[in-house]
Amino acid sequence: MKKKKEGLYLSDRPPLSPLGKVLLALSYVVLAVWSIVILWPLSQMVISSFNGTQTKNITMGRRFEFSFKHFEFLFKETNFLLWVKNTLFIAVATALLTLIIVSFTGYAYSRYRFAGRRASLLSIMLIQTIPTFAGITAFYTMLSIISGFAPFFSRQLFLILIYAGGGIASNTFILKGYIDSVSTELDDAARIDGCSNMQVYRLIIMPIARPMLSIIALWSFIGPFMDYMLAAILLTNNESLTLAPGLFTLINDTRTMNQPAFAAGGLLTAIPIIILFIALQNQLVSGLAQGSVKG
Amino acid sequence: MKTTPLLLDDIGNVRERKNLYLKELFEAEAAGAQEEVRRIKAARSDHPYIVSLKEAQARETQFLLELKKKTDEFERTLASDDPLKKLKVDTFEAREKAAFYQPLRELSYDFELEDRINHFRLHQLPRIVADQESLRERIAVVEAELSRERSQDHGAYEQETVRFRTERKMRLSEEIDELKEKRKERLISDKAYTNEKKMAQLKTRDDILARENSHPVKLLEEELRNLRHRLKADKRLALKVLESDISDVRRKTPVETEQRFPWRSIVSIPFPGIGQFLNKQWQKGILFLLASLLIYLVAIPYALGYGNYQGSGISGLISLAEGGARLDRSIIFMVEGIIAIFLLVFAAALLLISFKDVYTTEKRKTQGIRPFTWFESRQTIEEKGFPYLVSLPALIVIVFIVLVPIMTTILISFTNMDPQHQSKFQWIGLANYKLIALGQGIAGSAFWLILGWTLIWTIGATTVAIAIGFFLSLLVNQERLKGKKFFRTVFLLPWAVPAFITIMFFSIMVSSTGPITQILKTLTGQIINIKNSSLLTRIFLIFLQGWLGSAYIFLLSTGVLQGIPSDLYEAAEIDGATSWQKTMRITVPLILFQTAPLLVGQYTFNFNNFSIIFLFNQGRRFNPTHYGNLAESTDIPISYIYKVTIQNQYQGIGAAITIVISIVLMFVAWLGYRNTKAFKEEKL
Repeated sequence: MKKKKEGLYLSDRPPLSPLGKVLLALSYVVLAVWSIVILWPLSQMVISSFNGTQTKNITMGRRFEFSFKHFEFLFKETNFLLWVKNTLFIAVATALLTLIIVSFTGYAYSRYRFAGRRASLLSIMLIQTIPTFAGITAFYTMLSIISGFAPFFSRQLFLILIYAGGGIASNTFILKGYIDSVSTELDDAARIDGCSNMQVYRLIIMPIARPMLSIIALWSFIGPFMDYMLAAILLTNNESLTLAPGLFTLINDTRTMNQPAFAAGGLLTAIPIIILFIALQNQLVSGLAQGSVKG
Repeated sequence: MKTTPLLLDDIGNVRERKNLYLKELFEAEAAGAQEEVRRIKAARSDHPYIVSLKEAQARETQFLLELKKKTDEFERTLASDDPLKKLKVDTFEAREKAAFYQPLRELSYDFELEDRINHFRLHQLPRIVADQESLRERIAVVEAELSRERSQDHGAYEQETVRFRTERKMRLSEEIDELKEKRKERLISDKAYTNEKKMAQLKTRDDILARENSHPVKLLEEELRNLRHRLKADKRLALKVLESDISDVRRKTPVETEQRFPWRSIVSIPFPGIGQFLNKQWQKGILFLLASLLIYLVAIPYALGYGNYQGSGISGLISLAEGGARLDRSIIFMVEGIIAIFLLVFAAALLLISFKDVYTTEKRKTQGIRPFTWFESRQTIEEKGFPYLVSLPALIVIVFIVLVPIMTTILISFTNMDPQHQSKFQWIGLANYKLIALGQGIAGSAFWLILGWTLIWTIGATTVAIAIGFFLSLLVNQERLKGKKFFRTVFLLPWAVPAFITIMFFSIMVSSTGPITQILKTLTGQIINIKNSSLLTRIFLIFLQGWLGSAYIFLLSTGVLQGIPSDLYEAAEIDGATSWQKTMRITVPLILFQTAPLLVGQYTFNFNNFSIIFLFNQGRRFNPTHYGNLAESTDIPISYIYKVTIQNQYQGIGAAITIVISIVLMFVAWLGYRNTKAFKEEKL
């Protein structure tokens, strides 16, 4: 950086011109303004969730009085904890199912040349550009058919299948691209030592592909936290809702409306996810980038 | 099937026929001598080769009968609990067979094969037996030793161990003291001290463990476990080697058959499994028989309407529960019909696979290649079938979660499913599509209006987000700027907070009493309710998406920026470029080029961005004069479909809209894929 010592200019960069100084100052101003634009709404959410004087509608300019009232309401009067439990269950199951299915297909599509490989992958990619939601009438009907045959098959399980099934093609692409970049010499060596196909996967490919597998698992895990639409359509019972449609009942339905409680619930949901995103931002972005470049 | 005077084995060697009758016959055929062919065929049973072959086969039958008796006798001479009984009997059998088939080698390839196989077995089986026996002997010795050691008193050793342990621990504390001393004298650092201490502790634990494990009883127990494992593993491996040797011989020894017409494959077309049985491939036959069961007990009955939940199989697709009971619902008939179609396709695939399998085996046999044994079939399945087998779960999920629903949507778009026709609806052909194209009817009228807004929305919101994110990343990544880390973390927040939460909270903030409305009121002096105006809602939505989407773009372009090598800029500086020129000529093109596919992805994402439209204001504002009763002014196709299909139950026209939109999306996606490197290089 720039250091002035006894009038000597010691930086390895040329001194800033007056225009440069103005531009730099302007940059600070712009960045500060945008930081406020981002932080102000979020801080409003935090403040109103702790403000005991807020009533059902959040109003600006009320006196601030610190209280856990809204959190209490959230835990005692709503099914918030159930929603958290449901979301976690669906998210974990989706991540596991996706991992199991995709790790096989990604391996097979990367390492084997078989008839119908290219055609199947392409057609699935194209079909999946149709929004998952297009089949919603069929999902309903299939649910009633399935519940006729197997009553234990709940709507949540069906939702898990939809989430996992919707991601198969793109995740296969991502994983395939990653495994492609791993040299086949290791597999060949393992095969010479007598490893079967499954052993090659388990002992060689899986440990190497673990970073990408964890990214896939992470995205599949986050998906159910973010999705409103499918969960809202398929889950009808308030006790079986996930977080997004559950919290929406706090602002959309006049009978159950409580905006500060929504802010509290949103805060509790957002904090773990924010931590996750900030800690793993590079990996998450690289996962996304991989998928789209290969796709 | 084509027959030749010469034979081919599986590795491509040409072999002379041993069956002289067939040789003469095929040579005559190849020469085109019809007369000759007829004569040879007529005199088949008198042909000297056939006569001697028949005689040899009769002898073989006799021999096998006698062999059975002999082996039974031999088995009785063995102890009944001999664990190697089977191996020994096999050896005996191999010896007898080798002796019998040896002189017949030249008569037929079948005999030659038997001879070669049995020589192999005779060569290897006794070795396996000997190995196993020596292992067993060793086990017996070790066991005896172990029981002797166990009965002995090891008190001295144990005492010695205890003494060793205390001594070793004392030495450890001495070592640690020494280390402490060194640290005090500043000879070693704190870190070195902790490391050294840890190492000393580990070393001590290892020494004590080693001492404890060299207890004579423990040593013997370990060896015994080892030997028992080898006893099993060695045998398995040796037998596997023998099997692959035998399979090698089979591949190299051709087969001769008089059969020319592939009757087995044709007979077994309707029943997978039968053909494999006729080819004497029993285990494979059982597998395919399972496929038969699947076809005849599941797929076909279901397609005919048996075992349906409510529908009537394929025919339900045509009738759509027309004239059915009051509780019968057309939609269930439709979905079950579609499932029936998928089951039938699956059944047809099974039939085809089975036919191909039997036919290939038969065809190869006429050329001289022996059918696969189960050992060989299993290997082929493991190698070639592996990708199919492991993709099966994915296929099943995709069929039921993606394909069946999409088929249903396509079919519904040709029906009049609406609030009046919920339980029973009929086929109405292209009427729904006509309504959309002409912009008429309950749902069609708003379609083009919505499409117009959607274009503005998609292009506007995405471009705003990209511009903001891009601009911010350029600013933050200036060399002289301080506080980069702070700005990066803050700018990440809109991406990290789940979008539905921010959208809902913004929706609260612009409600009549919300903070934003209040601020606008103090600024302008009048109450501006954004949600009550179409135009304001639209503008606000675009900027809200700019707020939300910029974070991701910011992150992406920051990543690219940091990866641009600095020598590019240095070279530009030497050439006298200004910073503006450097930005426009180096930074911007590089970022755009590297993130282009992701940016395109952002446009499709916003085209389908249901959350923001619906959660912010449910697509409002309501404007019945232009939009009818179903749509509202900020609806995009997906939220419109949601309203039409889910909220108002016009599934028919909703499905038609879905299909139109999906075709457009697929076309755009196809254009995108076509230009990717992966697609062009056919590397996919």
